[in-house]
Amino acid sequence: MYAAVSSSTLHGVFGAPITVEVHIGHGLPGFSIVGQPDEACRESRDRVRAALLCSGHEWPNRRITVNLSGDGEKKGGATADLAIAVGVLIAEGKIEQGAVDHLAFVGELGLDGSLRATSGIAPLSYSARAESVVVPMVSVHEARIAVGDRAIGVSTLRQVCAVLAGGEPWPDTGIAPHRVLADVPPDMADVMGQENAKFAMEVAAAGFHHVLMVGPPGAGKSMLAHRMPGILPRLGTAESFETSMVRSAAGLPAVNPPSLVPPFRAPHHTSTTVSVVGGGSPVRPGEISLAHNGVLFLDEMGEFAPSLLDALRQPLEEGEVRVARARGCVTLPARFLLIGASNPCPCANEMVTSCTCTPQMRHRYLRRFSGPLLDRFDIRINLARPALSGMVTAEPGEPSAAIADRVSAARSRAVERQGAPNAMIAPHLLERHAPLTQAARDVIEARLTRGDLTARGYHRVRRVARTIADLRGDHAVVEQEHVESAIAMRAELTGR
Amino acid sequence: MSAAALAALPLQTHHRLRKLIACGDPVDVFRAIAAGQRVTGGIDERVWHAWRNVAGLDEVMARRCGEHGISVVCSRDDEYPTSIVHDREAPAVLFYRGDLSALRRRRVGIIGTRTASLSGCNFARTLGRDLALNDVAVVSGLARGIDVHAHRGVCDVGTGAAVAVVACGLDVVYPPEHELEWDDVARRGVLLTEAPPGTAPETHRFPLRNRILAALSEVLVVVESRARGGSMITVREAMKRDVTVMAVPGSPHAPVSDGTNALLKDGCEPVTDVDDVLVALGLSSGSSRRGADMREAPTPAERGVLAACTTRAVTVDEIVMTIGIPVFEAGVLLGRLELKGWVQQVNGWWEALT
Repeated sequence: MYAAVSSSTLHGVFGAPITVEVHIGHGLPGFSIVGQPDEACRESRDRVRAALLCSGHEWPNRRITVNLSGDGEKKGGATADLAIAVGVLIAEGKIEQGAVDHLAFVGELGLDGSLRATSGIAPLSYSARAESVVVPMVSVHEARIAVGDRAIGVSTLRQVCAVLAGGEPWPDTGIAPHRVLADVPPDMADVMGQENAKFAMEVAAAGFHHVLMVGPPGAGKSMLAHRMPGILPRLGTAESFETSMVRSAAGLPAVNPPSLVPPFRAPHHTSTTVSVVGGGSPVRPGEISLAHNGVLFLDEMGEFAPSLLDALRQPLEEGEVRVARARGCVTLPARFLLIGASNPCPCANEMVTSCTCTPQMRHRYLRRFSGPLLDRFDIRINLARPALSGMVTAEPGEPSAAIADRVSAARSRAVERQGAPNAMIAPHLLERHAPLTQAARDVIEARLTRGDLTARGYHRVRRVARTIADLRGDHAVVEQEHVESAIAMRAELTGR
Repeated sequence: MSAAALAALPLQTHHRLRKLIACGDPVDVFRAIAAGQRVTGGIDERVWHAWRNVAGLDEVMARRCGEHGISVVCSRDDEYPTSIVHDREAPAVLFYRGDLSALRRRRVGIIGTRTASLSGCNFARTLGRDLALNDVAVVSGLARGIDVHAHRGVCDVGTGAAVAVVACGLDVVYPPEHELEWDDVARRGVLLTEAPPGTAPETHRFPLRNRILAALSEVLVVVESRARGGSMITVREAMKRDVTVMAVPGSPHAPVSDGTNALLKDGCEPVTDVDDVLVALGLSSGSSRRGADMREAPTPAERGVLAACTTRAVTVDEIVMTIGIPVFEAGVLLGRLELKGWVQQVNGWWEALT
């Protein structure tokens, strides 16, 4: 008559436990789902019915009511299919209620009764309130990222019945780790020349500073950006867990054991705001969440929709995206290192002297970056195309591993001191964590007087100088040359 | 203000204006036109038609000039600058802010492209400054690039005199970012135009402006110019008037020096410092004064970096490669040199300042 089965539903990148209640009673034959199901969830009715029929069960021609009870929010997706089917079988008396009390069921059913992979298996299993979680066999390695051996993989509804009603053992899910992505990011040694840019990248990686690269096509902007994950410190357990959760929620192929290389995302400039920032219904994580704990690279930044660039400001500030809905707010993680790249002007000629743009054209081109967004870039560098002769004769650059060692050392100094990378030092704490020598103060003073630095630029320079000091050894106080080097990394975007 | 009103008539050109001014006292001429009389021959029926309802234009002009401190002088007046009074294409009416006596000094025009290179701008500035130190008034168009840098050089000297000829009305600042410089010229010398107040910077007005600029210069120095462009128009106007044209040599690879190098090939005198110009003016170069270098001397390490960016603009990478110092150090040294005023940077390219 009545059954209650545990399952879970996805809100953004977090799962929420729900209980699927099924009641079969007298009345006009029918099947209804209540408890704020969304469209995909309501379609469960047809899938569950077909799947049960295909798995050799009769469809009870009575009044069936399914209630998804949970946190009062809308339940999305097809992930409750399996739980509903099991619930119907229990309510019919074909399975004992006691057999499922320690289990949660997550998975979408095909019409033939097979279990399909859905996005978000990792966060869904993580949030399920049960001893073990039954998930589709194809996704079991994904569930294991979250719950380890508590995940049970099954391929069909028939298998589930055989175990729960027939007393058979759960099918063997195997123990081999599943890996689908190569774990080796490209190496910095591939980049010839561009020593200045490489040094800026090193500083950015150490302090988690956002970087803006301005240079003509062919200068190696995207090559450098792609090599950023290789010099960033490896992800910690918690960080790689977060990243896996987001990947799973976005429906990307899972990597188990989770990769420790920071993620790298490079959305195209024609991407929509929702695909980059996250949103939609149900709320899906966007590119910036997929770049959580890693790198977001915006090539041709000026070509992105201005509204999209503006939408990045809040996540850049807060490390998360809040997608507000009438029924509440979904928070998605989005703490990423932003690398922006742009041409200096529309004609994109190499040298200032060979540029054919009028000052107005250049001014208009650079005006696309709103001031508040530009303010987020602690490091701004100009790149030029490397001399061709240098490319032939140059020795290979320093490998990523060597740079990564220095970066890690600098980062640990920062984390030991203030518990966060230097880019996140609040202005009022700069004096405590990044004190300056008198000589360093004088340099900043002179730059402020000359109008080279604004008030915001001042804080940026102090943070970057702190990172440079960390990279160059154990400096409690930031010295003059650190500040001078930081100022050298603040190229102005001029429309001259 | 009748002269101003005549200049502001619809469909007015400098030829027609000269005819009208030649007819007699502007006050009478304007009154006659407002009354519908055809005061002179050789003017189209269409134009007379457009001039039917112009009564009150003189009062409008008087108010506008008054609001912006603009004065008017016409070629019949005694104050009209003697330097151009005999020019065949001289504007019959001039609007100005400042003091016309600046035109009685020795005058050198400094012109060049708006999209100038960094070193071009610096040269213009140095030349402007050194000319001002030698009591020569600098004439320019106050455009972006070379023009405004030459003017800034004049401003570096407390006593420098400046003359600027602009294309639009004096109440319309163009380019808008040069508002401070406009006021500055009016204070140090004179800001001139033939366009009545309210005239927009229309394209056809710039070549016309260039003829006045050429006529007012005794020597015209072209600092940088592409093979074609406004500066070359000024050069042609200057040559028509037998004004000495001089050019600053540039690299044969730089498009911004194509025009000046072509001038040199055609026989113009080269300019590499202020003495060349002073000699052309017939002034003694022996007693010329130059701006003293007030910059703090570079340290030996800085001198190495400075040497690396002396011949042309270079990137940090090139400096690192040529003198073999770490990037970190190069950034530090360039920053110090920049603060001391020895180098300048645009979009990642560093160049030494002479």
